[in-house]
Amino acid sequence: MDMNQYLSMFIDESNDHLQSLNEKMLELESNPTDLGIVQVIFRSAHTLKGMAATMGFEDLAALTHQMENVLDLVRNEKLAMQEFIFDTLFKGLDALESMVQDITQGGEGKADVTAIVESLQAIVRGDIPAGGASAPAAASTPAAAPAAEIAVKDSKGIQLDEFQQSVIEQSMAEGHQALYMDVAIREDCQLKAVRAYMVFDLLERYGDVIKSEPSTQDIEQDKFERSFSLYYVTQKDPAELQPMVTSISEIESVNVTRLDAQSLKEMSAAPAAEPEAAPAPAQQTTTASAPAAAPAAAPKAAAAPKAAAKAPAPAPSRTIRVDIDRLDVLMNLFSELLIDRVRLEQLASEVKVPALTDTVEHMGRVSTDLQNIVLKLRMVPVDTVFNRFPRMVRDLAKSLDKKLDLVITGAETELDRTVIDEIGDPLVHLLRNSVDHGVEPVADRIAAGKEETGTVKLSAFHSGNHVFIEIEDDGRGINRENVLNKAIKNGIVTQDVANTMKDEEVYQLLFAPGFSTAEVISDVSGRGVGLDVVKSKITSLGGHVMVTSELGKGTKFSVQLPLTLSIISAMLIRVGSEKYAIPLTSIVETGIIKAKQVRDLHGSQLIPYRDTHIPLLSLSRVFEVPDFDEREEEETEIVVIRKGDKLAAIAVENFIGQNEIVLKSLGSYLPETRGISGATILGDGQVALIIDPNAFIK
Amino acid sequence: MDELKVIVFKLATEEYGIEVDKVQTIERMMPITRVPKTLGFVKGVINLRGVVIPVIDLRGRFNLPSQEYNDQTRIIIVEVEKMQVGFIVDSANDVVDIKRSSIEKPPEVVGGVKARYLDGVAKLDEERLLVMLNLAEVLDKTEVVQLESIED
Repeated sequence: MDMNQYLSMFIDESNDHLQSLNEKMLELESNPTDLGIVQVIFRSAHTLKGMAATMGFEDLAALTHQMENVLDLVRNEKLAMQEFIFDTLFKGLDALESMVQDITQGGEGKADVTAIVESLQAIVRGDIPAGGASAPAAASTPAAAPAAEIAVKDSKGIQLDEFQQSVIEQSMAEGHQALYMDVAIREDCQLKAVRAYMVFDLLERYGDVIKSEPSTQDIEQDKFERSFSLYYVTQKDPAELQPMVTSISEIESVNVTRLDAQSLKEMSAAPAAEPEAAPAPAQQTTTASAPAAAPAAAPKAAAAPKAAAKAPAPAPSRTIRVDIDRLDVLMNLFSELLIDRVRLEQLASEVKVPALTDTVEHMGRVSTDLQNIVLKLRMVPVDTVFNRFPRMVRDLAKSLDKKLDLVITGAETELDRTVIDEIGDPLVHLLRNSVDHGVEPVADRIAAGKEETGTVKLSAFHSGNHVFIEIEDDGRGINRENVLNKAIKNGIVTQDVANTMKDEEVYQLLFAPGFSTAEVISDVSGRGVGLDVVKSKITSLGGHVMVTSELGKGTKFSVQLPLTLSIISAMLIRVGSEKYAIPLTSIVETGIIKAKQVRDLHGSQLIPYRDTHIPLLSLSRVFEVPDFDEREEEETEIVVIRKGDKLAAIAVENFIGQNEIVLKSLGSYLPETRGISGATILGDGQVALIIDPNAFIK
Repeated sequence: MDELKVIVFKLATEEYGIEVDKVQTIERMMPITRVPKTLGFVKGVINLRGVVIPVIDLRGRFNLPSQEYNDQTRIIIVEVEKMQVGFIVDSANDVVDIKRSSIEKPPEVVGGVKARYLDGVAKLDEERLLVMLNLAEVLDKTEVVQLESIED
């Protein structure tokens, strides 16, 4: 069978599963006894194995199978999680990731994983190297106890809204009984939805189902595992009801809990509460269908924590996957529409027919909305970059023997896809830098009177037309003297200059090419490629990096990025017969100067600006414009631009106005032209070049 | 396939051909935005239905004497290796089928154009010769860039 058509789906889903495996493993590591997490991990692994086997990726399936074996022991409490197991499972995940990567690049997804498989098998045999102190097999508690506890935990899964709660309270006041039911369907059941329907049908005959989890709709569409829970109001006695439900064929177990006012309140409001704090349900009766009570309870327990673990997770938004190329096509088509709209507006204003003007105006409003949507479509939450960092930081900290927490905030902040694609590497670099050079080893931290565990904060937020990503550590801070000594030694600055530099300027030296402050070159950072690469990457994205630091307290790297690279605000200007666009972000102000204010100094021209002099650059000469020369004018319009804290003025003929422009590339044929960063299409259909002001200031 | 469909265009005295599947479209002359400080024969960029495409003056590229553009002037948009470029030519008004076997090795120079830019010469009939362009060579900039940098 040709599987190619499913391949991309397989890759997408595998990546999702791997990501969730990584996240859950980290979660489990910080909370190793939470079997709910193990369940989620197990399920992800299981799905992955199934998909891999179906697609014929034997190695992938085999390795996943071995990992599943270990997880199976853990979830059945035959094995307690410990460091060695975590490390082995993480190694397994890495191997899986590289296999999927290989498949993505058209490979067979084959890899030699015998070493990992052996360790996994050893773990299953109970053969754990030194350090695994507790005897794993004996660690398990009798199966019945956790089953009961989990059932209670599970019963806290469903949250009621105010209305539903008041309905239940009212019915209770009127003498009805409020029940909470967990229904599990047999694993081998083929038509779960039908069985579930029969349960609902039966219940509806004697009372009302107030709420179910998953929702009735999902259940009807077969979108549930093997069990569901519901709130039910009835006048029937639960003891009578239970056998009735159980008698429906292929129902494995039914667990009915009668609620009183207090337990209702606690249950429905509960998902965040600790399991230990669970209220004793007023009345709990558990029975299972025919065969045997005890064994049936175990699979029930297996299914239940799934729901418990699921409840606190945010509801997944409904999405479809769209090919990126299609989005690009959409963007291009839209920008054509935008150009036609401007043209149409011009024509309409010339013709002056009210009906036409109205229509064009309306079209203008619609297209503004459309522009917002189209731009939003390209926005991706930074989480897609951030989500691999917790794992990376964990591994790093381990290899450096440091203790640290990574705190991520604002992962939902959105950025243009083009920016997201590029920003990953620089952030990895900055994070590595913070972990390696920022946060001190445990001993140093204790000596400095700090907490053993260091903190690295990674946060993202919007501000105006920019997104800021900050990486802040509570480490040793930047030592000004060390930086300067190093910079002087490497010939980046001279001693004289060094003495007069402000702290911020000193910190910027970190980004100078060929600079590395680490005294010992570790394999983490300081491999010759320094922060200068980070800076040049971020600058090429139209962003900046700033550093603030306090010695002994910590360092903060702040990366400022433009929201989008596809539509920007720009000032359109004219020089002779040519039109150019200057990005608004680098314009300080516009103005007019008189010819006699311009001073010549060593062949360059200066103009007074505020209380200083700034260079005046002639666009007509730099770009060799044939039909304009500002030296023949009495007054010249100028645009003051900024790069960092340096200013310069560009002489132009006149200003056309401010506009939203769509960035276009000049095509791959043309060699890069200094001073030109791209092109845009104006309302009249002509191409205008976009000036790169950074190239004008040295 | 022995037959080859070819777009025929005129440049100075000769007729040239480009395989039809490399040609995207043929446009009348349209406003060109000059790109400063770039290769001499690059006339600038045009907006072709929302895509910015650089245009080359083919006379300039082959160092032929330049000529005023008129209503016969055409821009042929070709696409080679995902790269779109427009050629300004004197006129373009024919599509012909030629046999592959009829294409012969080009002589050293045809109509002032060096052989390295040519794929071959095909005889259409007794009087008409069609010079097949080697697009990859025409679009190769390394030689030009080297020349220009020497001139600097």
